[in-house]
Amino acid sequence: MRGSGTPRQFSTQLAVIGSGIAGFAASIFAVNRQIATAQVGNTGALAYTTGYLDLIGKRGGAVVVDPWQALASLRESEPKHPLSRLDAGDIRQAFTEFTDFLGACGLAYSAPGTGNLTALTPAGTLKQTLCMPATMTAGPRALAADAPCVIVDFKGLKGFSGAELVANLRQRWPQLTTQRIVFPGMERGEIYPEVMARALEVAATREQLAAALRAVAGTARLIGLPAILGMHRPDQVRAELERLTGREIFEIPTMPPSVPGIRLRELMQQVLPQKGVTLIPQQRVTALSFEGDGATLALCDAFGPIRVHAQAVILATGRFLSGGLEAHPAGIREHLLDLPVTQPADRADWYRARYTDPRGHPINSAGIEIDDSFRPLTGEGRRYHERLFAAGVILAHQDWIRGRSGAGIAIATAFKAVTEAERFLAGRQAMVPGAPPLQCH
Amino acid sequence: MSSDATTLETEVLIIGGGVTGAGIMRDLALRGIHSLLIDKRDLCAGASGGNHGLLHSGARYVSTDPDAAIECRKENALLKRLVPQCIETADGLFVAVQGDDPEFADRFPALCQHAGIDCGELTPAEARRLEPVLSEKLFKAYRVPDATIDPFHLAMLNVDHARLLNGSHYRPHTEVLRFEVAAGEIRAAICHDHLHQRRLTIRARQFVNAGGAWAMNIARLAACADVHLLYAKGTILVSNDRLAQRVINRLRPPGDGDILVPGGTVSLLGTTSTRVEDLEQVAPTAEEIDRNIHEGAAMIPALAGARYIRAFSRVRPLLQTSGATDRAATRGFALLDHASQGVDNFCTITGGKLTTFRLMAERTADLVARRLGNDRAGLTATVPLPDDEASSWADPVAAQKRWHHDRDPDDMILCECEMVPQSAIEQVFANSPDIEKERTIDLIALRTRAGKGPCQGSFCGIRIGSYLYDRGYYRDATGLAHLRDFLDERFKGQRSVIWGPQAAQMELAEALHCGLLGLDTLEDE
Amino acid sequence: MAASAIASINFKAAALELLPEGANFEACLSCGLCSSGCPASGMENMDPRKFIRMALLGMDEELSTTPWIWCCTMCKRCQYVCPMSIDVSQLVFLARGNWPEDRKPAGIVRSCQLATSSDSTSAMGMPPADFVAVVEEVLEEVRATQPDFRHLQAPIDRRGAHFFVNQNSREPMNEPEEMVPLWKIFDVVGADWTYASKGWAAENFCMFSGNEDAWREVVRKRVDAVNQLGCEVWLNTECGHSYYSMWQGIERFRLEANFRLESIVTWYAQWIREGKLPVDARWNSKGIKFTVQDPCMIVRKAYGDAIAEDMRFVVRTLVGEENFVDMQPNRSANYCCGGGGGFLQAGMTEHRRTYGKRKFDQIAATGAAYVLTPCHNCHSQMHDIGRFYGGHYGVVHLWTLICLSLGILGKNERIYLGPELRG
Repeated sequence: MRGSGTPRQFSTQLAVIGSGIAGFAASIFAVNRQIATAQVGNTGALAYTTGYLDLIGKRGGAVVVDPWQALASLRESEPKHPLSRLDAGDIRQAFTEFTDFLGACGLAYSAPGTGNLTALTPAGTLKQTLCMPATMTAGPRALAADAPCVIVDFKGLKGFSGAELVANLRQRWPQLTTQRIVFPGMERGEIYPEVMARALEVAATREQLAAALRAVAGTARLIGLPAILGMHRPDQVRAELERLTGREIFEIPTMPPSVPGIRLRELMQQVLPQKGVTLIPQQRVTALSFEGDGATLALCDAFGPIRVHAQAVILATGRFLSGGLEAHPAGIREHLLDLPVTQPADRADWYRARYTDPRGHPINSAGIEIDDSFRPLTGEGRRYHERLFAAGVILAHQDWIRGRSGAGIAIATAFKAVTEAERFLAGRQAMVPGAPPLQCH
Repeated sequence: MSSDATTLETEVLIIGGGVTGAGIMRDLALRGIHSLLIDKRDLCAGASGGNHGLLHSGARYVSTDPDAAIECRKENALLKRLVPQCIETADGLFVAVQGDDPEFADRFPALCQHAGIDCGELTPAEARRLEPVLSEKLFKAYRVPDATIDPFHLAMLNVDHARLLNGSHYRPHTEVLRFEVAAGEIRAAICHDHLHQRRLTIRARQFVNAGGAWAMNIARLAACADVHLLYAKGTILVSNDRLAQRVINRLRPPGDGDILVPGGTVSLLGTTSTRVEDLEQVAPTAEEIDRNIHEGAAMIPALAGARYIRAFSRVRPLLQTSGATDRAATRGFALLDHASQGVDNFCTITGGKLTTFRLMAERTADLVARRLGNDRAGLTATVPLPDDEASSWADPVAAQKRWHHDRDPDDMILCECEMVPQSAIEQVFANSPDIEKERTIDLIALRTRAGKGPCQGSFCGIRIGSYLYDRGYYRDATGLAHLRDFLDERFKGQRSVIWGPQAAQMELAEALHCGLLGLDTLEDE
Repeated sequence: MAASAIASINFKAAALELLPEGANFEACLSCGLCSSGCPASGMENMDPRKFIRMALLGMDEELSTTPWIWCCTMCKRCQYVCPMSIDVSQLVFLARGNWPEDRKPAGIVRSCQLATSSDSTSAMGMPPADFVAVVEEVLEEVRATQPDFRHLQAPIDRRGAHFFVNQNSREPMNEPEEMVPLWKIFDVVGADWTYASKGWAAENFCMFSGNEDAWREVVRKRVDAVNQLGCEVWLNTECGHSYYSMWQGIERFRLEANFRLESIVTWYAQWIREGKLPVDARWNSKGIKFTVQDPCMIVRKAYGDAIAEDMRFVVRTLVGEENFVDMQPNRSANYCCGGGGGFLQAGMTEHRRTYGKRKFDQIAATGAAYVLTPCHNCHSQMHDIGRFYGGHYGVVHLWTLICLSLGILGKNERIYLGPELRG
């Protein structure tokens, strides 16, 4: 067929590889700095996020109340930890910029505070986080005040049990009760939070749900729901339900597939192109090469091959789930450039004997090495390329799961990588007057 | 007999809930003898549950142990007739690939013939048509009547039948601490009930030690020093899906990684053999895993890149004979009556293999019955094992098919990988032994396929936990502790094979269990 | 006569063959994002995750016979949201093809049979002569009754024309006056175009029936027709699956096509940007709200978001920025309407409407008075579910609105507009 098979070409200043929180955060920071940006890569783990933006929630298995203080002590004890290599002011600014951006796009977030917030989990346990969606903030407040509250769960929604929440929170929250109802129009079979959330974008569904909620709310002042309060306009959905029920309403994240992650993904996929980002989501970059005047990313979408030419590249491809790292029987590898990966000497040491060991597994701290400008390093300790930067949980010397610091590492290191890339680009621009702006052809 | 009593009485106490113990229980019941079966853990917790699930044709032993081969051949034919519900008549292939000894391959049919085992030669092309995963380097192939058998299902059906026949009783989590011996007889077994954390005395007229690898230790509790076992650790890998329809054996003397057995929806690759001293601390090592895969890939190249979801090691008891290597050590069994040890109502059955469990049980029951003055003949060679609906949830695929055909959208699937619905859980609870009044995640995990698929319980554990809270079976933080323990337990089997997609699965699981739910720091909460 | 038996497919083996390494069922994490995002989940007790699991568990008989494969529209949304990019649709296609013809939904089979029965390739069986006659008749009528268009052209079989324009059969068969707006647009921009008497039709239900031979046959006839006329571009008009079936068909069956495939949506956008289509939103002084439906077949499954952006540019220009409300989700993440994959023709009305409930909710949430879409199946389905669920929106083609904006929309070319726009 004529014309088929020829790659479509894009040129840009900055290419971000990866569409997790780190990748999206990088694009946001780049947009805020007027850097022409293309973002490519599979979404990987983004859809699984809870909506909570942790900075440091645990250290050595102990609860962290003040993440900023924890950051200072982390610097002492784990100087190679990516967060230890960042300025606290930068981290705060990164969180502020990120949450402000989401807020401006219609997904309101609490601002980063001086201490952690105590967040609810679907098991009725508690976790520490720095920022949370506005739809979730009333829950922790009600818990602190032991306010009369009813958790409403739904027939057909698996893995979210009001009884479980009450059983595990009863001691801390004596005034917590639970009720089960049928979601309007979903009387039979299995139902998914995603479907419920989309249905709640419709006024008629909200009215029916509000009626059902009123019928069981009794004397409760608050109603806690699984995270289903709309997909695109959660704040309006919540406000509307609060008006209709006369009670304060909050969400609790659910197990995957859950709404908050899908919300973030859909929001980013819509907003970033509007802000001028060339977004090629859900496709994996198959090759990355550097020439004298830039870098070239090769990938393929349903329609055919694509080439993205960029002056600088941020590698934010995540770990095993998102495909940035690959675990082979012979060792862990970085999949795109085969960057050296710091890892346990022996596969037998990847995991501890006990799965839930609070110390975490050594494999979790495996990752790539960077210099102070967040440029990945070769095995000899040299920069891989002056145009290449890295961000997110692909970086070595952190266990984001045990540290409850996934979003924090993603957002803060993306901020740093973009700042450094901006400095690099500015240097190039100064040297080459009239460097080409963004071009799509 | 009340299970609440701290003293229980029975005619025969059988120690060890492997297939042999369960088989003895049923055999005795068919003779009208009441027994109590106990296990310090649960059914098939030892070697019975830690093997390939292979129902040998006998061909594997034709070169090393012709007697065992003949025994296998006979039992294979019997069991196919009597317990078809636990058996998949998969058929087996013996294949030689480049580098294997052609002389051994040529001798094989004659050896099979000598043991009376049906063996037909296939051309390499025919073999590869039957099993496209076979290596192109195959040069010899024979077909033998190997089959597979589900030991869990088998043990459960034996126990259930015994209960139905005469109220014989099974108690898991019950460990013998010592025996009360007087006048050359054991009077009672003093046990610990791990579930309720209490002491239990069991009085019986006859005591049977079917402790498998633990048999030597149990015998010593009664001061019997005539059980001599070697411990061979075997490591087996479980793939994410079923790679071949038939049992595939390497056509050479038994060695590492030389057999791939279908197990319902998965395949099992094994096995390595290492001598060990410690019975309790056995786990697969990276070296054993790699050796299995390396050897297996010579027969079936796809094994090199397959997704594995588990690996496990179990200790097999081998009867100690002088001079032989572990591989060549007898796979036969031994029934010791302990008369020489001055105990007249005690016997030990050990060694052997899954395929010959019925025969082992029969010989043991013969002895016990004789000692009890019961002269009824054993019936297990003629009476088929009846089916039982509840235990079929442990049967791969059957459960899914049933759910699919029932088509009740409100009977929701809780384990998506293996498609275990809510109704399965209720049925298991309704049919579980009296002792297990507690409705726990563990019980579901033991008696259904839940948690056995690629997610290894990481999602279904949460869903089942929530369901049990909903039903009021959990009312406090116990449910979360059980969930954590369940996941820790599943992890033991996964730990040594986490790479490729399994590493992605693990990252997602950890993010969910630890990052969100905080199961890693439950006590501090 | 008893219906034929359905043979069992070995789905696992098929998956190994059809799906790329790394995106095979082996990589499935069982997370459920696919099922959560699929409007066919729950129908016939099935969903994409169950499909994958049952394939891996070897439940070939159940999968081979489940009617769910006719509820799955093969829209590939499950693949789009899957972190491992696992594609269920290819196996659904395989299963469809495996059903004996007498067991397949009769409507799909009949539409395919009709398409292969004449040189038109029309799924409604309209022969070449009838098509030519209808076009000529309608053209006469327009020339006679609309003085501004007394020289309007609708060329047929004009060799060497730049655009070979395809035509969904619905218009010439049932609502011929709906062809006129597009002709007028070509007239306004001065396009060098032609219809053809052979291979002119857009639909291809043979693809949906899983009948590869027939799919190839239909595409081959169309390719031959374009090659024969020596056109540069096969221009796909407002029909979704025609593009996909042609594009994929040419690649799958390795047909020699001496032309490019292009979409009318891209050209609308280009003509507007070039000033050749001087549309604006001044006509919409009452602020009527519009939304758009992204057809899976040209957005998620083919061009990706690029064409969705073109469509939005066209629509925003036409209705006014402030009067455009996007459906959520949208672009490549959009839901299939439930009219695709032959669902509309399959006779499974209850299932189809249940599927379409999610689309109805999406539309309802926008509060829009009209949905615009460049796809006939989307059009019919959204129209039907709108009436069924008590919606108050209309469904219109882009060509209608373009001509409305240009002030050249004839009185009888407004059947899909509400009273306020009937003029």
